[in-house]
Amino acid sequence: MIAASEIETKLLDFLKREVFAADVAVTPETDLIAAGFDSMSLVRLLVFIETDYGFWIPESEITGDALQTVRTLAATFTRLLNAR
Amino acid sequence: MNLTELLDTTAARWPQKPALIEDAMVVSYAELVQRTQELAIKLQALPITTGGRIGLAFPNGVSYVALTFALWRVAAVVVPIPSECTEEEIADLAAAMQLEGILSQKSRPESTAVTADCFFGRLRPPTPPDNHGLNLAFIRFTSGTTSARKGVALAHETIRDRVLSANQALRIGSEDTVIWCLPMAHHFLVTLVVYLSVGATVVLARHVLAQPFLDATIRWRGTVLYAAPFHFAMLARDRSGAALPSVRLAVSTTCALPPEVAEDFYGRYQIPLVQGMGVIELGLVSLNTDDPQARWNSVGRPAGDFRVQIMDPDATGCGEVAVAGPGIFDAYVAPWIPREQVLRAGWFFTGDIGRIDADGFLFLLSRKTAVINLAGRKVFPEEIEAVLNRHPTVRESRVYGQPHPHLGEVVAAELVLEPPHASLEPVRQYCREQLAAYKIPMRFTLVSALPRTPVTGKIRRAAPVA
Repeated sequence: MIAASEIETKLLDFLKREVFAADVAVTPETDLIAAGFDSMSLVRLLVFIETDYGFWIPESEITGDALQTVRTLAATFTRLLNAR
Repeated sequence: MNLTELLDTTAARWPQKPALIEDAMVVSYAELVQRTQELAIKLQALPITTGGRIGLAFPNGVSYVALTFALWRVAAVVVPIPSECTEEEIADLAAAMQLEGILSQKSRPESTAVTADCFFGRLRPPTPPDNHGLNLAFIRFTSGTTSARKGVALAHETIRDRVLSANQALRIGSEDTVIWCLPMAHHFLVTLVVYLSVGATVVLARHVLAQPFLDATIRWRGTVLYAAPFHFAMLARDRSGAALPSVRLAVSTTCALPPEVAEDFYGRYQIPLVQGMGVIELGLVSLNTDDPQARWNSVGRPAGDFRVQIMDPDATGCGEVAVAGPGIFDAYVAPWIPREQVLRAGWFFTGDIGRIDADGFLFLLSRKTAVINLAGRKVFPEEIEAVLNRHPTVRESRVYGQPHPHLGEVVAAELVLEPPHASLEPVRQYCREQLAAYKIPMRFTLVSALPRTPVTGKIRRAAPVA
Protein backbone atom coordinates (compact mmCIF):
# COMPACT_ATOMS: atom_id res chain seq x y z
CA MET A 1 0.00 0.00 0.00
CA ILE A 2 1.24 3.44 -0.87
CA ALA A 3 0.16 6.15 1.56
CA ALA A 4 -1.57 9.26 0.23
CA SER A 5 0.81 11.39 2.30
CA GLU A 6 3.80 9.89 0.44
CA ILE A 7 2.28 10.79 -2.94
CA GLU A 8 1.28 14.24 -1.72
CA THR A 9 4.83 15.00 -0.59
CA LYS A 10 6.18 13.71 -3.90
CA LEU A 11 3.74 15.81 -5.92
CA LEU A 12 4.49 18.94 -3.91
CA ASP A 13 8.19 18.41 -4.39
CA PHE A 14 7.79 17.79 -8.12
CA LEU A 15 5.48 20.77 -8.68
CA LYS A 16 7.80 23.12 -6.80
CA ARG A 17 10.86 21.82 -8.59
CA GLU A 18 9.59 21.29 -12.11
CA VAL A 19 6.30 23.04 -12.79
CA PHE A 20 5.70 26.29 -10.95
CA ALA A 21 7.84 29.40 -10.86
CA ALA A 22 9.92 29.96 -7.74
CA ASP A 23 7.62 32.76 -6.52
CA VAL A 24 4.50 30.54 -6.52
CA ALA A 25 3.78 29.14 -3.06
CA VAL A 26 2.59 25.55 -3.47
CA THR A 27 0.66 23.92 -0.63
CA PRO A 28 -1.64 20.87 -0.53
CA GLU A 29 -4.58 23.30 -0.94
CA THR A 30 -3.18 25.19 -3.94
CA ASP A 31 -5.75 25.51 -6.77
CA LEU A 32 -3.74 23.87 -9.54
CA ILE A 33 -5.42 25.34 -12.62
CA ALA A 34 -5.48 28.85 -11.12
CA ALA A 35 -1.76 28.51 -10.37
CA GLY A 36 -1.02 27.80 -14.03
CA PHE A 37 -1.07 24.00 -14.22
CA ASP A 38 -1.67 23.14 -17.90
CA SER A 39 -1.67 20.16 -20.24
CA MET A 40 2.13 20.15 -20.52
CA SER A 41 2.40 20.16 -16.71
CA LEU A 42 0.09 17.15 -16.64
CA VAL A 43 2.20 15.35 -19.24
CA ARG A 44 5.37 15.95 -17.22
CA LEU A 45 3.68 14.84 -14.02
CA LEU A 46 2.36 11.62 -15.56
CA VAL A 47 5.80 10.78 -16.94
CA PHE A 48 7.30 11.48 -13.50
CA ILE A 49 4.86 9.08 -11.83
CA GLU A 50 5.41 6.50 -14.57
CA THR A 51 9.19 6.71 -14.09
CA ASP A 52 8.94 6.32 -10.31
CA TYR A 53 6.17 3.70 -10.07
CA GLY A 54 6.28 2.01 -13.49
CA PHE A 55 2.62 2.79 -14.08
CA TRP A 56 0.96 5.15 -16.56
CA ILE A 57 -2.02 6.85 -14.96
CA PRO A 58 -4.74 6.96 -17.63
CA GLU A 59 -5.55 10.57 -18.56
CA SER A 60 -9.24 9.65 -18.46
CA GLU A 61 -8.92 9.29 -14.67
CA ILE A 62 -7.76 12.88 -14.30
CA THR A 63 -11.12 14.57 -13.97
CA GLY A 64 -11.80 18.18 -13.05
CA ASP A 65 -12.47 17.05 -9.48
CA ALA A 66 -9.11 15.31 -9.28
CA LEU A 67 -7.32 18.40 -10.56
CA GLN A 68 -8.68 20.82 -7.96
CA THR A 69 -5.77 20.80 -5.54
CA VAL A 70 -2.54 18.96 -4.89
CA ARG A 71 -4.39 17.00 -2.19
CA THR A 72 -7.23 15.81 -4.46
CA LEU A 73 -4.74 14.91 -7.18
CA ALA A 74 -2.62 12.96 -4.70
CA ALA A 75 -5.72 11.10 -3.49
CA THR A 76 -6.59 10.11 -7.08
CA PHE A 77 -3.05 8.99 -7.85
CA THR A 78 -2.85 6.98 -4.61
CA ARG A 79 -6.13 5.20 -5.33
CA LEU A 80 -5.02 4.27 -8.87
CA LEU A 81 -1.52 3.21 -7.86
CA ASN A 82 -2.89 0.97 -5.10
CA ALA A 83 -5.50 -0.54 -7.43
CA ARG A 84 -3.12 -1.45 -10.24
CA MET B 1 -3.65 42.17 -50.88
CA ASN B 2 -4.22 41.94 -47.13
CA LEU B 3 -5.55 38.88 -45.28
CA THR B 4 -8.01 41.03 -43.33
CA GLU B 5 -10.01 41.19 -46.59
CA LEU B 6 -10.86 37.50 -46.10
CA LEU B 7 -12.33 38.18 -42.65
CA ASP B 8 -14.10 41.38 -43.75
CA THR B 9 -15.74 39.58 -46.69
CA THR B 10 -17.01 36.81 -44.41
CA ALA B 11 -18.32 39.34 -41.91
CA ALA B 12 -20.16 41.26 -44.65
CA ARG B 13 -21.85 38.05 -45.71
CA TRP B 14 -22.64 36.54 -42.29
CA PRO B 15 -22.43 39.43 -39.79
CA GLN B 16 -24.45 37.75 -37.02
CA LYS B 17 -22.93 34.27 -37.36
CA PRO B 18 -20.74 33.21 -34.42
CA ALA B 19 -17.08 33.36 -35.42
CA LEU B 20 -15.48 32.40 -32.12
CA ILE B 21 -16.84 30.84 -28.94
CA GLU B 22 -14.75 30.92 -25.79
CA ASP B 23 -16.41 29.49 -22.67
CA ALA B 24 -19.79 31.27 -22.55
CA MET B 25 -18.66 34.18 -24.77
CA VAL B 26 -19.96 34.10 -28.34
CA VAL B 27 -18.30 36.56 -30.73
CA SER B 28 -20.07 37.16 -34.05
CA TYR B 29 -18.20 37.93 -37.27
CA ALA B 30 -19.37 41.55 -37.12
CA GLU B 31 -18.11 41.84 -33.52
CA LEU B 32 -14.79 40.23 -34.38
CA VAL B 33 -14.21 42.66 -37.24
CA GLN B 34 -15.16 45.58 -35.02
CA ARG B 35 -12.71 44.38 -32.39
CA THR B 36 -9.88 44.12 -34.91
CA GLN B 37 -10.69 47.65 -36.16
CA GLU B 38 -10.68 49.12 -32.65
CA LEU B 39 -7.43 47.36 -31.82
CA ALA B 40 -5.90 48.55 -35.10
CA ILE B 41 -6.63 52.17 -34.13
CA LYS B 42 -4.83 51.60 -30.82
CA LEU B 43 -1.92 49.90 -32.60
CA GLN B 44 -1.59 52.89 -34.95
CA ALA B 45 -0.70 55.03 -31.96
CA LEU B 46 2.30 52.77 -31.24
CA PRO B 47 5.73 53.02 -32.88
CA ILE B 48 5.04 50.20 -35.36
CA THR B 49 6.33 50.71 -38.90
CA THR B 50 4.89 49.24 -42.12
CA GLY B 51 6.39 45.77 -42.41
CA GLY B 52 7.67 45.98 -38.83
CA ARG B 53 7.91 42.63 -37.07
CA ILE B 54 5.87 42.36 -33.88
CA GLY B 55 6.04 39.45 -31.45
CA LEU B 56 2.67 38.17 -30.22
CA ALA B 57 2.88 36.58 -26.76
CA PHE B 58 -0.72 35.64 -26.01
CA PRO B 59 -2.43 32.45 -24.90
CA ASN B 60 -5.23 30.88 -26.98
CA GLY B 61 -8.28 33.09 -27.02
CA VAL B 62 -10.41 35.61 -28.89
CA SER B 63 -7.75 38.25 -28.17
CA TYR B 64 -5.09 36.22 -29.95
CA VAL B 65 -7.20 36.06 -33.12
CA ALA B 66 -8.28 39.72 -32.94
CA LEU B 67 -4.72 40.95 -32.40
CA THR B 68 -3.38 38.94 -35.33
CA PHE B 69 -5.90 40.51 -37.71
CA ALA B 70 -5.40 43.96 -36.12
CA LEU B 71 -1.65 43.70 -36.70
CA TRP B 72 -2.35 42.79 -40.32
CA ARG B 73 -4.61 45.85 -40.61
CA VAL B 74 -1.70 48.09 -39.69
CA ALA B 75 0.60 46.20 -42.12
CA ALA B 76 2.74 44.70 -39.37
CA VAL B 77 4.30 41.23 -39.57
CA VAL B 78 3.04 38.82 -36.89
CA VAL B 79 5.69 36.70 -35.15
CA PRO B 80 4.04 34.28 -32.66
CA ILE B 81 5.85 33.74 -29.35
CA PRO B 82 4.74 30.43 -27.81
CA SER B 83 3.62 30.84 -24.21
CA GLU B 84 6.06 28.21 -22.99
CA CYS B 85 9.12 30.27 -24.04
CA THR B 86 11.49 31.30 -21.26
CA GLU B 87 12.81 34.89 -21.09
CA GLU B 88 16.11 33.69 -22.60
CA GLU B 89 14.25 32.11 -25.53
CA ILE B 90 12.16 35.25 -26.08
CA ALA B 91 15.33 37.36 -26.13
CA ASP B 92 16.89 35.01 -28.73
CA LEU B 93 13.76 35.13 -30.85
CA ALA B 94 13.45 38.92 -30.64
CA ALA B 95 17.07 39.44 -31.65
CA ALA B 96 17.09 36.89 -34.47
CA MET B 97 13.78 38.13 -35.93
CA GLN B 98 14.68 41.84 -35.33
CA LEU B 99 11.38 42.49 -33.55
CA GLU B 100 10.21 46.10 -33.22
CA GLY B 101 8.09 45.22 -30.25
CA ILE B 102 6.18 42.56 -28.36
CA LEU B 103 2.45 42.53 -27.64
CA SER B 104 1.80 40.48 -24.53
CA GLN B 105 -1.06 39.69 -22.20
CA LYS B 106 1.06 40.35 -19.15
CA SER B 107 3.02 43.54 -18.68
CA ARG B 108 6.71 43.12 -19.45
CA PRO B 109 9.71 45.28 -18.49
CA GLU B 110 9.15 48.80 -19.87
CA SER B 111 5.91 47.86 -21.60
CA THR B 112 2.93 50.21 -21.87
CA ALA B 113 -0.76 49.28 -21.74
CA VAL B 114 -2.63 49.11 -25.07
CA THR B 115 -5.81 47.75 -23.45
CA ALA B 116 -6.53 46.36 -19.98
CA ASP B 117 -5.04 42.99 -20.96
CA CYS B 118 -2.63 43.89 -23.74
CA PHE B 119 0.79 45.48 -23.32
CA PHE B 120 3.32 46.73 -25.85
CA GLY B 121 7.02 46.50 -25.16
CA ARG B 122 9.11 48.47 -27.62
CA LEU B 123 12.36 46.95 -28.85
CA ARG B 124 15.01 48.62 -30.92
CA PRO B 125 16.80 46.16 -33.22
CA PRO B 126 20.37 47.36 -33.89
CA THR B 127 19.71 47.13 -37.63
CA PRO B 128 16.20 47.60 -39.05
CA PRO B 129 14.80 44.43 -40.63
CA ASP B 130 14.72 44.11 -44.41
CA ASN B 131 11.67 42.32 -45.84
CA HIS B 132 13.20 42.47 -49.34
CA GLY B 133 10.16 44.15 -50.86
CA LEU B 134 7.77 41.36 -49.83
CA ASN B 135 4.30 42.08 -48.42
CA LEU B 136 5.02 39.92 -45.38
CA ALA B 137 2.25 38.88 -42.99
CA PHE B 138 3.81 36.25 -40.79
CA ILE B 139 7.09 34.82 -39.59
CA ARG B 140 7.24 31.49 -37.76
CA PHE B 141 10.37 31.36 -35.65
CA THR B 142 12.01 27.97 -35.59
CA SER B 143 14.83 27.37 -33.18
CA GLY B 144 17.01 24.37 -33.95
CA THR B 145 20.78 24.55 -34.09
CA THR B 146 22.77 27.76 -34.09
CA SER B 147 23.68 27.21 -37.74
CA ALA B 148 20.10 26.38 -38.78
CA ARG B 149 17.97 28.70 -40.86
CA LYS B 150 15.77 30.57 -38.42
CA GLY B 151 12.33 31.87 -39.22
CA VAL B 152 9.98 31.08 -42.10
CA ALA B 153 8.50 34.19 -43.75
CA LEU B 154 5.13 34.22 -45.51
CA ALA B 155 3.54 37.04 -47.51
CA HIS B 156 -0.17 37.86 -47.45
CA GLU B 157 -0.56 36.51 -51.00
CA THR B 158 1.24 33.27 -50.09
CA ILE B 159 -1.07 32.66 -47.13
CA ARG B 160 -4.14 33.41 -49.25
CA ASP B 161 -3.00 30.76 -51.76
CA ARG B 162 -2.50 28.32 -48.86
CA VAL B 163 -5.92 29.03 -47.44
CA LEU B 164 -7.63 28.33 -50.77
CA SER B 165 -5.55 25.24 -51.32
CA ALA B 166 -6.00 23.88 -47.78
CA ASN B 167 -9.74 24.11 -48.09
CA GLN B 168 -9.71 21.98 -51.20
CA ALA B 169 -8.64 19.25 -48.78
CA LEU B 170 -10.60 20.24 -45.66
CA ARG B 171 -13.80 21.32 -47.50
CA ILE B 172 -14.95 23.41 -44.55
CA GLY B 173 -17.95 25.65 -45.05
CA SER B 174 -20.11 28.12 -43.17
CA GLU B 175 -22.21 25.27 -41.73
CA ASP B 176 -19.19 23.83 -39.90
CA THR B 177 -18.30 24.21 -36.25
CA VAL B 178 -14.65 23.46 -35.50
CA ILE B 179 -13.59 22.38 -32.01
CA TRP B 180 -10.16 23.89 -31.39
CA CYS B 181 -7.59 22.97 -28.75
CA LEU B 182 -4.14 23.38 -30.33
CA PRO B 183 -1.81 26.23 -29.36
CA MET B 184 -2.50 29.14 -31.76
CA ALA B 185 1.16 30.15 -31.59
CA HIS B 186 1.97 26.90 -33.41
CA HIS B 187 -1.16 26.54 -35.59
CA PHE B 188 -2.99 29.42 -37.22
CA LEU B 189 -2.70 29.92 -40.94
CA VAL B 190 -4.04 26.86 -42.74
CA THR B 191 -6.38 26.24 -39.84
CA LEU B 192 -7.94 29.30 -38.15
CA VAL B 193 -7.54 31.62 -41.14
CA VAL B 194 -9.21 28.98 -43.32
CA TYR B 195 -12.15 28.54 -40.94
CA LEU B 196 -12.69 32.29 -40.56
CA SER B 197 -12.46 32.91 -44.30
CA VAL B 198 -15.32 30.48 -45.05
CA GLY B 199 -17.65 31.58 -42.24
CA ALA B 200 -17.27 28.55 -39.96
CA THR B 201 -17.63 28.79 -36.18
CA VAL B 202 -14.58 28.00 -34.05
CA VAL B 203 -15.08 26.81 -30.47
CA LEU B 204 -12.02 27.30 -28.28
CA ALA B 205 -11.93 24.29 -25.95
CA ARG B 206 -9.66 24.08 -22.94
CA HIS B 207 -7.40 21.15 -23.55
CA VAL B 208 -6.17 19.91 -20.19
CA LEU B 209 -8.75 17.15 -20.08
CA ALA B 210 -11.06 15.06 -22.24
CA GLN B 211 -14.24 16.12 -20.48
CA PRO B 212 -14.32 19.84 -21.41
CA PHE B 213 -13.45 18.93 -24.98
CA LEU B 214 -16.33 16.46 -25.17
CA ASP B 215 -18.71 18.89 -23.45
CA ALA B 216 -17.82 21.65 -25.93
CA THR B 217 -18.27 19.32 -28.91
CA ILE B 218 -21.67 18.17 -27.73
CA ARG B 219 -22.91 21.59 -26.57
CA TRP B 220 -21.95 23.42 -29.77
CA ARG B 221 -22.56 20.46 -32.11
CA GLY B 222 -19.00 20.40 -33.39
CA THR B 223 -18.61 19.03 -36.91
CA VAL B 224 -14.82 19.13 -37.15
CA LEU B 225 -12.23 18.11 -34.55
CA TYR B 226 -8.68 19.28 -35.15
CA ALA B 227 -6.25 17.99 -32.55
CA ALA B 228 -3.08 16.03 -31.84
CA PRO B 229 -2.90 12.25 -31.25
CA PHE B 230 -2.39 13.05 -27.57
CA HIS B 231 -5.86 14.62 -27.42
CA PHE B 232 -7.50 11.80 -29.36
CA ALA B 233 -5.88 9.26 -27.02
CA MET B 234 -7.45 11.08 -24.07
CA LEU B 235 -10.83 11.18 -25.79
CA ALA B 236 -10.57 7.49 -26.68
CA ARG B 237 -10.16 6.58 -23.02
CA ASP B 238 -13.21 8.54 -21.92
CA ARG B 239 -15.75 6.24 -20.27
CA SER B 240 -18.70 8.63 -19.97
CA GLY B 241 -20.40 6.91 -22.90
CA ALA B 242 -21.06 10.28 -24.59
CA ALA B 243 -21.39 10.00 -28.39
CA LEU B 244 -20.34 12.58 -30.96
CA PRO B 245 -22.94 12.23 -33.74
CA SER B 246 -22.38 15.78 -35.06
CA VAL B 247 -18.71 15.17 -35.96
CA ARG B 248 -18.09 14.57 -39.67
CA LEU B 249 -14.31 15.05 -39.74
CA ALA B 250 -11.66 14.39 -37.10
CA VAL B 251 -8.16 15.46 -38.15
CA SER B 252 -5.15 14.15 -36.28
CA THR B 253 -2.23 16.49 -36.77
CA THR B 254 1.21 17.52 -35.43
CA CYS B 255 2.77 14.04 -35.29
CA ALA B 256 2.31 10.48 -36.55
CA LEU B 257 -0.84 8.81 -35.29
CA PRO B 258 -0.04 5.70 -33.21
CA PRO B 259 -2.09 2.71 -34.50
CA GLU B 260 -3.63 1.98 -31.10
CA VAL B 261 -4.93 5.55 -30.84
CA ALA B 262 -6.58 5.32 -34.30
CA GLU B 263 -8.10 1.97 -33.32
CA ASP B 264 -9.24 3.00 -29.84
CA PHE B 265 -10.75 6.27 -31.03
CA TYR B 266 -12.66 4.52 -33.80
CA GLY B 267 -13.79 1.83 -31.35
CA ARG B 268 -15.06 4.45 -28.91
CA TYR B 269 -16.78 6.90 -31.32
CA GLN B 270 -16.99 5.12 -34.72
CA ILE B 271 -15.22 8.11 -36.26
CA PRO B 272 -12.09 7.39 -38.32
CA LEU B 273 -9.18 9.72 -37.61
CA VAL B 274 -7.85 11.50 -40.67
CA GLN B 275 -4.16 12.34 -40.99
CA GLY B 276 -2.64 15.02 -43.14
CA MET B 277 0.74 16.41 -44.05
CA GLY B 278 1.28 19.95 -42.81
CA VAL B 279 4.65 21.65 -43.15
CA ILE B 280 5.34 25.28 -42.19
CA GLU B 281 7.21 25.88 -45.44
CA LEU B 282 4.32 24.45 -47.50
CA GLY B 283 0.95 24.60 -45.75
CA LEU B 284 -1.46 21.67 -45.83
CA VAL B 285 -0.16 19.40 -48.57
CA SER B 286 -2.55 16.49 -48.19
CA LEU B 287 -5.35 15.12 -46.05
CA ASN B 288 -6.54 11.53 -46.10
CA THR B 289 -10.28 12.07 -46.39
CA ASP B 290 -10.51 9.51 -49.22
CA ASP B 291 -9.68 6.36 -47.30
CA PRO B 292 -9.08 7.01 -43.60
CA GLN B 293 -10.14 3.53 -42.52
CA ALA B 294 -8.26 1.03 -44.68
CA ARG B 295 -5.30 3.39 -45.12
CA TRP B 296 -5.44 4.99 -41.65
CA ASN B 297 -1.66 5.49 -41.58
CA SER B 298 -1.54 7.41 -44.87
CA VAL B 299 -1.51 11.21 -45.00
CA GLY B 300 -3.63 10.99 -48.16
CA ARG B 301 -3.33 12.15 -51.73
CA PRO B 302 -1.97 15.60 -52.61
CA ALA B 303 -4.66 18.26 -52.17
CA GLY B 304 -5.63 20.72 -54.89
CA ASP B 305 -2.69 21.81 -56.99
CA PHE B 306 0.00 20.19 -54.85
CA ARG B 307 2.29 17.62 -56.45
CA VAL B 308 4.29 15.12 -54.43
CA GLN B 309 7.23 13.07 -55.62
CA ILE B 310 9.57 10.54 -53.98
CA MET B 311 13.14 11.52 -54.80
CA ASP B 312 15.75 8.80 -55.46
CA PRO B 313 13.50 5.96 -54.28
CA ASP B 314 15.19 2.78 -53.07
CA ALA B 315 14.17 -0.75 -54.17
CA THR B 316 11.05 -0.58 -51.97
CA GLY B 317 9.97 2.80 -53.36
CA CYS B 318 11.01 4.78 -50.28
CA GLY B 319 12.84 8.07 -50.57
CA GLU B 320 12.74 11.73 -49.60
CA VAL B 321 9.36 13.39 -50.09
CA ALA B 322 9.50 16.48 -52.32
CA VAL B 323 6.55 18.82 -52.87
CA ALA B 324 5.66 21.45 -55.47
CA GLY B 325 2.55 23.61 -55.44
CA PRO B 326 0.83 26.81 -54.34
CA GLY B 327 1.65 28.89 -51.26
CA ILE B 328 5.23 27.72 -50.72
CA PHE B 329 6.99 29.94 -48.15
CA ASP B 330 8.67 33.15 -49.32
CA ALA B 331 12.00 33.03 -47.52
CA TYR B 332 13.99 31.90 -44.52
CA VAL B 333 14.65 34.94 -42.37
CA ALA B 334 17.97 34.58 -40.54
CA PRO B 335 19.95 34.37 -42.67
CA TRP B 336 17.66 35.63 -45.44
CA ILE B 337 17.36 32.91 -48.10
CA PRO B 338 14.66 33.44 -50.72
CA ARG B 339 12.45 30.53 -51.76
CA GLU B 340 14.08 30.35 -55.21
CA GLN B 341 17.41 29.44 -53.61
CA VAL B 342 15.84 26.72 -51.47
CA LEU B 343 13.71 24.96 -54.08
CA ARG B 344 15.41 22.53 -56.41
CA ALA B 345 13.86 22.80 -59.89
CA GLY B 346 10.66 23.99 -58.20
CA TRP B 347 10.57 21.19 -55.59
CA PHE B 348 10.81 21.61 -51.84
CA PHE B 349 12.64 18.71 -50.17
CA THR B 350 10.81 18.07 -46.91
CA GLY B 351 13.33 15.90 -45.06
CA ASP B 352 10.61 13.29 -44.58
CA ILE B 353 11.12 9.78 -45.88
CA GLY B 354 8.04 8.31 -47.48
CA ARG B 355 6.47 6.25 -50.23
CA ILE B 356 3.44 6.56 -52.50
CA ASP B 357 1.20 3.53 -53.15
CA ALA B 358 -0.37 2.50 -56.46
CA ASP B 359 -3.45 4.66 -55.78
CA GLY B 360 -1.43 7.76 -55.05
CA PHE B 361 -1.68 7.73 -51.24
CA LEU B 362 1.37 9.13 -49.46
CA PHE B 363 2.83 7.34 -46.43
CA LEU B 364 5.41 9.07 -44.22
CA LEU B 365 7.93 6.73 -42.63
CA SER B 366 10.51 8.79 -40.79
CA ARG B 367 12.40 12.02 -40.64
CA LYS B 368 15.85 12.53 -42.07
CA THR B 369 16.50 14.79 -39.09
CA ALA B 370 16.48 13.79 -35.43
CA VAL B 371 13.71 16.15 -34.36
CA ILE B 372 11.76 14.84 -31.34
CA ASN B 373 7.98 15.04 -31.22
CA LEU B 374 6.51 15.32 -27.73
CA ALA B 375 2.71 15.25 -27.96
CA GLY B 376 2.93 17.41 -31.07
CA ARG B 377 5.61 19.84 -29.93
CA LYS B 378 8.86 19.74 -31.85
CA VAL B 379 12.11 19.57 -29.96
CA PHE B 380 15.51 19.83 -31.62
CA PRO B 381 18.12 17.65 -29.86
CA GLU B 382 20.96 19.99 -30.84
CA GLU B 383 19.30 22.91 -29.04
CA ILE B 384 18.93 20.95 -25.79
CA GLU B 385 22.46 19.57 -26.05
CA ALA B 386 23.84 23.08 -26.51
CA VAL B 387 22.20 24.12 -23.22
CA LEU B 388 23.32 20.97 -21.36
CA ASN B 389 26.88 21.33 -22.62
CA ARG B 390 27.10 24.87 -21.25
CA HIS B 391 26.65 23.54 -17.70
CA PRO B 392 30.05 23.27 -15.96
CA THR B 393 29.61 19.65 -14.81
CA VAL B 394 28.42 18.32 -18.19
CA ARG B 395 31.31 17.06 -20.31
CA GLU B 396 29.12 15.92 -23.16
CA SER B 397 25.51 15.03 -23.85
CA ARG B 398 23.23 13.31 -26.30
CA VAL B 399 19.51 14.08 -26.50
CA TYR B 400 17.03 11.82 -28.23
CA GLY B 401 13.35 10.97 -28.42
CA GLN B 402 12.40 7.91 -26.42
CA PRO B 403 9.26 6.26 -27.82
CA HIS B 404 6.33 6.57 -25.44
CA PRO B 405 3.01 4.77 -25.96
CA HIS B 406 0.88 7.74 -24.93
CA LEU B 407 2.91 10.75 -25.94
CA GLY B 408 4.70 9.78 -29.15
CA GLU B 409 8.10 10.49 -27.72
CA VAL B 410 9.58 11.94 -24.55
CA VAL B 411 12.80 13.90 -24.43
CA ALA B 412 15.62 11.84 -22.91
CA ALA B 413 19.26 12.74 -22.35
CA GLU B 414 22.44 10.82 -21.81
CA LEU B 415 25.09 12.74 -19.93
CA VAL B 416 28.76 12.32 -19.23
CA LEU B 417 29.44 14.30 -16.04
CA GLU B 418 32.74 15.70 -14.84
CA PRO B 419 33.41 14.62 -12.11
CA PRO B 420 31.43 11.43 -12.84
CA HIS B 421 29.62 11.46 -9.50
CA ALA B 422 28.55 15.12 -9.65
CA SER B 423 24.95 15.82 -8.69
CA LEU B 424 22.37 15.92 -11.45
CA GLU B 425 20.15 18.42 -9.62
CA PRO B 426 22.02 21.60 -10.67
CA VAL B 427 21.82 20.41 -14.30
CA ARG B 428 18.05 19.97 -14.04
CA GLN B 429 17.76 23.39 -12.43
CA TYR B 430 19.83 24.96 -15.20
CA CYS B 431 17.54 23.37 -17.82
CA ARG B 432 14.53 24.91 -16.09
CA GLU B 433 16.09 28.36 -16.31
CA GLN B 434 17.12 28.03 -19.94
CA LEU B 435 14.46 25.90 -21.64
CA ALA B 436 10.70 25.88 -22.15
CA ALA B 437 9.12 23.17 -19.98
CA TYR B 438 8.41 20.74 -22.83
CA LYS B 439 12.03 20.80 -23.97
CA ILE B 440 13.51 19.78 -20.60
CA PRO B 441 14.59 16.15 -20.71
CA MET B 442 12.22 14.00 -18.66
CA ARG B 443 14.69 11.17 -18.37
CA PHE B 444 18.40 11.50 -17.66
CA THR B 445 20.85 8.63 -17.94
CA LEU B 446 24.41 9.00 -16.69
CA VAL B 447 26.95 7.22 -18.90
CA SER B 448 30.73 7.04 -18.94
CA ALA B 449 31.02 7.79 -22.68
CA LEU B 450 28.81 8.44 -25.70
CA PRO B 451 28.88 6.35 -28.88
CA ARG B 452 30.79 7.98 -31.72
CA THR B 453 30.85 7.42 -35.44
CA PRO B 454 33.97 5.47 -36.42
CA VAL B 455 35.30 7.82 -39.11
CA THR B 456 34.49 11.38 -38.05
CA GLY B 457 34.41 10.79 -34.28
CA LYS B 458 31.15 12.74 -34.01
CA ILE B 459 28.57 11.77 -31.42
CA ARG B 460 26.29 9.30 -33.12
CA ARG B 461 22.86 10.81 -33.65
CA ALA B 462 20.82 7.60 -33.92
CA ALA B 463 18.32 7.22 -31.11
CA PRO B 464 18.88 4.32 -28.71
CA VAL B 465 16.02 1.83 -28.77
CA ALA B 466 13.90 2.02 -25.64
